[in-house]
Amino acid sequence: MSQFKIIFTGPVGAGKTTAINSISDTPPVKTDASASDMTKTRKSSTTVALDYGVMNLPGGEKLHLYGTPGQERFDFMWDILVTGGIGLVLLLDNTRADPFQDMRFFLDTFEKFISQTTVAIGVTQMDLSSTPTIDEYHIQLNKLGLKPPVFAVDAREKSDVSLLIQSLLYTLDPGLEG
Amino acid sequence: MDKKGSPLTVALQGMDARSSKMMAMYLHGPCKGEAVVISDGYADALILDADSMSGQAFLKTFLAEGVEKPLILISLHETHIENVICIKKPVKTDDMLMALSQIKSRLTQRKQHEDRVSKAAIEEYRVESEENFVTTKPNTVEVIEEKPVLKSYVIRTDEQLKTSKHQAAMQLNEKAFGAFIGNVPGLDVNDPRQFAKANYNAKHYFQGYVESAFNVSRTKGQARQLNSGWNPLLIFPEANEIWIDVDENQLRAFAGLLINSTLGASMSVTPLSQELVDQERILEKYQSMDAFLWKVACWASKGRYPHQLDIRQPIYLKHWPNFTRLLVTPHALRISALMIKGPRTLPNIAEVLNIKPQYVFIFASAAYALGLIGHAKRDADVLFQPPEIKPNKNQSILGRIISTLLGKKA
Repeated sequence: MSQFKIIFTGPVGAGKTTAINSISDTPPVKTDASASDMTKTRKSSTTVALDYGVMNLPGGEKLHLYGTPGQERFDFMWDILVTGGIGLVLLLDNTRADPFQDMRFFLDTFEKFISQTTVAIGVTQMDLSSTPTIDEYHIQLNKLGLKPPVFAVDAREKSDVSLLIQSLLYTLDPGLEG
Repeated sequence: MDKKGSPLTVALQGMDARSSKMMAMYLHGPCKGEAVVISDGYADALILDADSMSGQAFLKTFLAEGVEKPLILISLHETHIENVICIKKPVKTDDMLMALSQIKSRLTQRKQHEDRVSKAAIEEYRVESEENFVTTKPNTVEVIEEKPVLKSYVIRTDEQLKTSKHQAAMQLNEKAFGAFIGNVPGLDVNDPRQFAKANYNAKHYFQGYVESAFNVSRTKGQARQLNSGWNPLLIFPEANEIWIDVDENQLRAFAGLLINSTLGASMSVTPLSQELVDQERILEKYQSMDAFLWKVACWASKGRYPHQLDIRQPIYLKHWPNFTRLLVTPHALRISALMIKGPRTLPNIAEVLNIKPQYVFIFASAAYALGLIGHAKRDADVLFQPPEIKPNKNQSILGRIISTLLGKKA
């Protein structure tokens, strides 16, 4: 049976683990650990390897949901993670100093994967920091020649995460019928 | 402090911007309604992280000189300090709720004592406090940035309580469409022979007045009020939000009505005085301007397209709408995904996606209201109609994922 997976990526604290938790049918496998390095100042625990969740599909197949570790020192794993993926969900934390820099970093890092598949962007924590606005993200993306879906997302809300994934899939094929 | 069951106000000490944000979210989440973070000077109590360098320094000062405000100390180590509520990390919600409750109780007791001692003095204090509240809005706090990775932002506790503004979108399916959106008697918008008549002029509906009021408000950079003979619509362009106290069903019915000349004459847009701008309102009734206009346009459209659009000409989509905060009409995501690939005529979109034209028309109406679509200007776009879409090689599994997601929708 074929394996299908969607990759969730983004900086530390953007909500990758929470988003996977929102839509996974089984309790997600977390590899969080007490942070012992510079991350400690930002989160009491962080994902040191990866997060994993699964959505059961009609017919017995499964959609695997993988979250990349936020810390760059684990970026060697990213290539392995994306192999066979059908698309990328990029979550950005709007309270970080320069979310556009984060966006460029991840779009650049996953450029090859995105060119072969597609990307949808979720901006989290907009209730804490309303700027940059979603329109401003589009302006930045336009400069990069990209027009992906960009949605304000509360990673705890299943419907937000669901809409983001739907947009990712429809970008791959607008002819899809639910 | 708490007069009508309102949350305890707390200031955070010994926490960097990230930790401050996490704590603010924690108080807003598991401890919702019990405490909110505000700036130090106005807070009822303090929460101190004793494990940080700055927290240690603060604690030293506190022990040496004392601070009038009640203190909750959180630490990895078991700590006991007189008159300080100590919570060991990891912080358990029950412990935090208990601590907040104890402080509320202490403050209430203190206030009762003060009331007994000098009623007159307390009255003076209250007036002064209220004046301070009105003039300085102490419900925000500048978080001091310690880490360059985080921006210095304002924890707007009010903003988090504007739940309508940040709530998830409503995703309509085909079955719900008719009942929620309605139709135009005597017009079959899905019949190609009637396409020429299947348009509407937003100016004849509440939508047109909202658009006009938004334009004036944004151009002038001024809060305005749209008076329509019933509940006024307050517009705050700086925050990109509106406030209206009205039942959603009533609004939907009103937005679908043709505005006759009598009612139209009673509509007016007036500036909001600073006093009215600052007035306290029910926070849940704030909505984003875009989300409000989007749904008002949907209700005016009833499956028709804006009369400004020529359906024989290709239409482009500037960028994806922010669907998680908008009313999602049937097939709106598919339509966006198709249009973003290149301009197409509206009937062609319906044909390629094999959907009823009304779903394309209503999407076009809402997107046009937000300035997201327009006629393709280039000759090449007009002459070149994109081909049929190529099915993805994984179409079957992708379709099942979509079905599952739609079934899972909260």
